[in-house]
Parts: sequence; structure tokens; C-alpha cells
Amino acid sequence: MNAGFFVQLGASAAAVGALVALAAWAKIARPVSPLDEHKAREMLAEEFPGRRIDAVWVASDGAGALARSGGLALVLCRVGDGFAARQIPWAQAIAASFRDGRLRLNLADVAAPTAVIALPAWPPKDLAA
Amino acid sequence: MTRVHIDPVTLATPLFILTIILEIVFARLGKAKASYETKDTAVSLAMGLGSTVAGVLTGGVIVAATLWVWQHRLFDIPMTAAWAWVAIFLLEDMTYYWFHRISHERRFWWVSHVNHHSSQHYNLSTALRQTWTGAFNGSWLLWLPLAWLGFPPAMIALQKGVSLVYQYWIHTEAVGRMPRWFEAVFNTPSHHRVHHARNPVYLDRNYAGILIVWDRMFGTFQPELDEEPCRYGLVKNLATFNIVRVAFHEWIAMAGDALRHPRHALGYVFGPPGWSHDGSRETSAMLKARATSPAAAGATGPQPAAPQESPA
Ligand SMILES: [Zn+2]
Ligand SMILES: [Zn+2]
Repeated sequence: MNAGFFVQLGASAAAVGALVALAAWAKIARPVSPLDEHKAREMLAEEFPGRRIDAVWVASDGAGALARSGGLALVLCRVGDGFAARQIPWAQAIAASFRDGRLRLNLADVAAPTAVIALPAWPPKDLAA
Repeated sequence: MTRVHIDPVTLATPLFILTIILEIVFARLGKAKASYETKDTAVSLAMGLGSTVAGVLTGGVIVAATLWVWQHRLFDIPMTAAWAWVAIFLLEDMTYYWFHRISHERRFWWVSHVNHHSSQHYNLSTALRQTWTGAFNGSWLLWLPLAWLGFPPAMIALQKGVSLVYQYWIHTEAVGRMPRWFEAVFNTPSHHRVHHARNPVYLDRNYAGILIVWDRMFGTFQPELDEEPCRYGLVKNLATFNIVRVAFHEWIAMAGDALRHPRHALGYVFGPPGWSHDGSRETSAMLKARATSPAAAGATGPQPAAPQESPA
């Protein structure tokens, strides 16, 4: 590595900063409307094809959803202008920490560490079994 | 040997920057189809920058190995002969096809290549989203036979650079279809959109570098279907923009699986992405089979105990 390399690297880093700023200014992310139950179910069917959905809780801000499917909790969470989906054991979802109207789910995945879902109450009384 | 004075990637960097500006501005004006999300763009470009640093740090070993092999070459192939350039173009491109195919079909190579696929976007910045760890997977060994045949290392390096630069422009939704003859022979935005899509029908297809003919020859070609719009990213998309997690998540997941299940470590390392010893996860082949077989539609799928893998 020589001085030329560092000059090039510095210039490239500056260019990266400028391009990110330009992308932010342009506001050309995909439009994402908040999830409602219908959209959440559609997305769950796409992410977990063939799975029976017992119940769905949609985040009050529409930025995520949680569904029970037998012994599993199916989780949708907003990432940028898209969504990511994971599944965890239902018992873990029931035991997850719920404070100030926010449910913090540990997804136990390096690529998806946590999902935060805004809900009016948790756990659900009738399904807490 | 001849010193490599021409690096196509360095030469093309101003072009990369200019064309990303154009893609963003045209999309903003509603004149081109493209979407950019700020954090996603930042991660893609930072991965690109980091990969050039990683390339400088590891490049010495690869150059030295290539030189050593070339010193034990079978033939003397002159850089001045036109036939030699035609030959290196075809051989390097076929080597790239097989490198790219193994990078998707075996987890040990996927752990690095996954980085290129982890954006849910498909724009010119996605092209620069490159792995930091590729040298550690040893896939560069695949190019050594070219040096052994007698192609000068500079010639191989140049052709690799040309291929990388060619593949840049195809990372766009702004171009629909190229003329039919072009789509038949070359890798195009349409073919490579399929490669980046997570729809089951598109998984593990279109591994081409420059020529799409390899996919047609080796049975991995899939045209883009108007009725099946591409959804980009991984089978299990990232839920983080943390660059360290983005760069290393699959390495960590692979190591974790191998350590937790030492008796099945070989499967977790060299099996296809999504392989599991208890069938609790799904590989691309399983996802494709399920999507195409209506009989399986009512099945409940696997009963995973652990988070899923991310084949794409
Ligand atoms: Zn790929
Ligand atoms: Zn690509």
C-alpha cells in the first residue's frame, strides 16, 4: 500500500458520502404503506407458504406484525423500505419483554437480531397458553 | 512478468460514480425506473469500498500464487496474439460461471457471496455491494489453471477486471430488455435481475458473467417472466443495516451451526445453503420444488427449531 492508494481511498470514501447524500435527497425509496391485517396476512402467506395462521397481531404503527402458527411465532418487521421475516418458538414470543407498548423479540439471528413491534398489550390473554 | 498497469475497475470508478448519479437523478425526475433507500445505498457502497481495501490486503498472496503457477506453465501464450485474447475471454468467463455457481450451491462459498445478494434493491449501487472475505474461501484457486495453461497473470487479471466492469451496468431496473440477439448471447439487466430475485422460480439461476450461453449450456438459465416480477434479496432478508453484521453474518451462522452439531459439521459447511441435519430448514431446491408442486401447497413445511438459513 502506498500514498496513492490512500488518496484513492479517501476520494472514494468522499464519493460514497456524496452519493448517499444524493440518494437521501432524491427520496426515491419504495413507497411503503403501513401494514394492516390483510396486507400482513398476504405477506405471511408469501414468506411462510402453506403455514396455517392461527392469529395475527399487527403493529399499531404498521411497521411489523406477529402471527401464531401452532408452536411458532411468525414475525414480520420493517427494514428500510422493505420487510424481513423470521420465525421463533411461540413460547419465546410470549416471554418476550414488553415495555411502553413495545414488544422486543429476540430473533436469535446474526442477520436479524431483534424485532420491535408496537402493540397495545402483550401477551394476549386467550392465547398465552 | 508484465506489470499490471491497467486495472479496469480503477479506470471505471469515475464511470460508476457518474452513472449512479444519473440513475438517481433520472429516477427522481420520473424518467427511469430505479429505487434507492438511503441506508441500503450506504451499506452497498460501503461494502464496495471495504472490498477494495480487502482486495489490496489479500491481493499479494493471490498474485504470488498465480505467478508461481505461471512459472510452471505448460505453454507460452503470447499476450500479443488475438487468438489468445479470444481464448482468455471464453475460458475466464466459463471459470467465472463455475465460481459463481459454487458460490450459490455450497455454503462455504455462499458465506462470502451472500453479501452481494443481501440488498432488497436492485440498482447500480447493488453492483458495488461486494464481499470483504472472498479471498478466504479460496475460490481464486479456480483461476490458477489458466496460469498453468500459460496465460500471463496480467492477462488473467485484466480479463477478470473486464468481467467485473461488464457486470456493473446490468445491475439496473432502468433497462427493460436488450435486442433479442443480445439477450440470447450476453448477460443482461433482465437475466441478472432474475439472478438477484428471491422468488422460488428464480433461485439459483443465471450465474453468467458476460456470456449467458454458459447457463443455457449447463441448464441453469431462467428468463425473466412478465407475470412474475422479481422480488430482490435473500430468502430470509436481513433485518439490520449494521455493516459488521452484513459483512459477516453467514460466516458466524455457519460456524455456529458447525460447533453446535459437530457430527454434521461437514453438511453445514459444504452442503447447500439452507441444509440442515434434521430437515428443519429449506434449501433453494426444496423451495423450488414446493413452489412448483401443487400437492405440497397444503403441507405445513418444515418445523424449524432454529432461525432459517438464507439461500438466494
Ligand atoms: Zn450471485
Ligand atoms: Zn449481481
